[in-house]
Amino acid sequence: MPKVFFATDLHGSEVCWKKFLNAAKFYGADVLICGGDMTGKAIVPIVAENGHYTVTLGGERQAVTADQVAEVEGNIRRKGYYPLQMTVERLQELDHDPAKRAECFQEVMLEGVDRWMKLAADKLRGTGIRCFVCPGNDDEMEVDDVIRRAELVELGEGRLVEIEGFAMISTGWSNPTPWKTHREESEEELARRIDAMASQVPDQSHAIFNLHCPPFKSGLDEAPAIDADLRLLHGGRALRPVGSTAVREAIERHQPLLSLHGHIHESKGALKIGKTLSINPGSAYEEGMLMGALIQLDPKKGIKSYQLVNG
Amino acid sequence: MADTTLGTAPGTRPALFLRNATGLVKAWSTFDAFVYSFWSINLITLGLYGMSYVYTVPDGQLLAGILLFGVLVTFLVITYAMLVSVMPRTGGDYAWQSRVLGGGLGFVLSITGWWFTLFLWAPIYANILVVQFFSPLAYTLGWTGVAMFFTSKTGIFVSCLIVLAFVSIVVTMGMETYARIQKVCFWIGLAGLAVVCGILLFYSQSDFQNAFNREATQLFNAPANAYQGTIDAASKTFGGSSFGTFTFGPVLLLLPWLAFYLLWPNWGATLYGEVRGAKDIRKPFWSMFAGLWVTVAMVAVVVLLINKTIGWNFYQSANAAYWNNLFAVPNAAAPPVPIWPYPVMFAGFLVNNHLFQALLIIVMGLWFFGWAGTLFLSSTRVIFAAAFDRVLPAWAANISAKRRVPYGSLVLMIVPSLVVSAIYAYKPDFTSVFLDATAVLALTFLATVVAAVILPWRRKDLYDASPIAQYKIAGVPVISIVGAITGLFLLYMLYQWSFNPDNLYGTSLQKTPNSVIYFVATYVVAVVVYVIARVVRNRQGIDLRRIHHEIPVE
Repeated sequence: MPKVFFATDLHGSEVCWKKFLNAAKFYGADVLICGGDMTGKAIVPIVAENGHYTVTLGGERQAVTADQVAEVEGNIRRKGYYPLQMTVERLQELDHDPAKRAECFQEVMLEGVDRWMKLAADKLRGTGIRCFVCPGNDDEMEVDDVIRRAELVELGEGRLVEIEGFAMISTGWSNPTPWKTHREESEEELARRIDAMASQVPDQSHAIFNLHCPPFKSGLDEAPAIDADLRLLHGGRALRPVGSTAVREAIERHQPLLSLHGHIHESKGALKIGKTLSINPGSAYEEGMLMGALIQLDPKKGIKSYQLVNG
Repeated sequence: MADTTLGTAPGTRPALFLRNATGLVKAWSTFDAFVYSFWSINLITLGLYGMSYVYTVPDGQLLAGILLFGVLVTFLVITYAMLVSVMPRTGGDYAWQSRVLGGGLGFVLSITGWWFTLFLWAPIYANILVVQFFSPLAYTLGWTGVAMFFTSKTGIFVSCLIVLAFVSIVVTMGMETYARIQKVCFWIGLAGLAVVCGILLFYSQSDFQNAFNREATQLFNAPANAYQGTIDAASKTFGGSSFGTFTFGPVLLLLPWLAFYLLWPNWGATLYGEVRGAKDIRKPFWSMFAGLWVTVAMVAVVVLLINKTIGWNFYQSANAAYWNNLFAVPNAAAPPVPIWPYPVMFAGFLVNNHLFQALLIIVMGLWFFGWAGTLFLSSTRVIFAAAFDRVLPAWAANISAKRRVPYGSLVLMIVPSLVVSAIYAYKPDFTSVFLDATAVLALTFLATVVAAVILPWRRKDLYDASPIAQYKIAGVPVISIVGAITGLFLLYMLYQWSFNPDNLYGTSLQKTPNSVIYFVATYVVAVVVYVIARVVRNRQGIDLRRIHHEIPVE
């Protein structure tokens, strides 16, 4: 009976990734699934100047010595940002040149994912625990290659994998968002992508759909309403369903045993769509808290139990 | 592909580089959040209703009481803003108490306040709707039969049904639509208030006496000089009140009355988990702070104008005569105008035109309809949070696919509210239970405040990672200091509600056995629900204790 621990949207938080790896032992899980959006959203420059380093954290600019840089870097990683030491000239260069900034982002992100893969290898070697990662819409395509090369982490994207008698399909692609991120496509294309995998599933009653984007109007997809200028409306209290109709239709048509989602951090929840249990554990990566779902699978019962946890 | 990454404005030095990623939005308007907080401590609906009881503390200087309350609640606002900043979780009190105090304690303390006690608020809202809308409007339009109906037991129950239907519609239509309605109500309501204040400012006290006497005869068939008649009726049980009297002790005794409306600037805190940017302490703080102090300022203006034009002794006498007669206080006499003393209606009397008076009551009624819709909004979030934690059944968090109606949580709120409303309407013996509605919520807040005080030690990881970790005074975390001050303030009011020797608030434990039984029962039910959940979930292989256990990092 495999026990699955699912977490998603870690967004570069190294604390959350370490907790994710430790969750297997902590909860007695056999399988770890990371649902996507692994990479961070920001680089925090640590600028070398006049014999010390300056860094701005929480809106407060501070000067630190070379000895303190490691601690500062740890604090920055904890929040899901990438610390990067640089000169004043490099800072100006990145500020003024979008292409170099994008190149720099890719470099630190891939380096971060590679470090995470090595941490996973150190932690999981010899445990027999399987660990799956499926990059999400915020993760650049090159992330997949880093995961493919990982020793003990398996790439989920676009594959059907077998987990002790259960079949799992995965994709981190989403329907279009206002941010035009790396893995977005129309609902029709997303439907075709999901169907291509779902049609290979031998038994839907033992299937897991690991789809980053939550189903439309499910309650797992309620995001704060924004205007065209990306400004939150009505004090951030007005919510709109932003999930995918393709994901919803795939769940309704195929009725897998379980569907796992993320994407909308605020929309934590679990509900039934027909025979399918759909879960979005939410995300609080900025606090270093790992929100996850613990699912006990059973070959006969399907899902024996599930629980949303805040580690 | 992603569009681009984000640099900084020319001439500025970048603190960080952002890339285009899902969820990176521009901050919400503090004004929008202020409107929500402003509605939560509604100075017309809850405010005027709550302040109509302060005649029980005749030496209590109301203006001083309001200002003192504003200062003390500011500490509550800071405490909650800091908690939002550390843990911006949907579920607010439930989430904070569970994560800091433990799942069982958190469930019992928050669910009694945010779920069980809100049943009691439905009939309170209904009563406010009667005394501020149905009844004065019907009297003004000459529909005496309708006005009398809404003061009957069945009329009160019908008003409860109207409130519950309205709240259900708001939950069904969603916050985005209601937020638009709230904004319309906000601006029109403010315009109405400006008219009320303008009338009270430009007319004199003798004008009001004449106007009151005229309308008392025309609308209520009262005998001549009803103004003096009201003071005379009150004098049987009330010794009079002077606005200028100031003694510190009685000012403190006003605080538990003022809590009825001024204790809730944090009402929206249960929703902050859905607000991106809530981790920035400035946003939630300024929203709640502005809501509180704009209301305090407006109340001060209204109170001063009531004193100037209506007359403080008359206004308090009218309140005393109305409530003491309703509560059958020994020797109480019925006032000549048998209606709750609504300052808006009184201001309208100064314009000798019933159509204008009716219009003013309708416009000011928007203060109710822009506010009442959120009655169960926070409760549904708390129920959701408990359901996601598997303490409540999964169906409690179900949402209908077509209209996104949270029917599970709505049923859990509406059905008990119907029963409680019927008790409120038809069983006057239970009045004290409803008076306790404020105290139980204050107890819930107290538990949250205790969680805030010990947070830096109990959840050091979360605290250290939060933006508020930098705020310390003499090495002591600011959240612990402001939490402790708030806790003392809440404890004082809880003491007064529970043990005031004169039963000033109608809630003293010794004098109100029904109330004690009801609230002990709610806590017992909460404990039983949690214990059952633990046992049932344990059999299913789910250990509820581990929900909030932190996974080791290394």
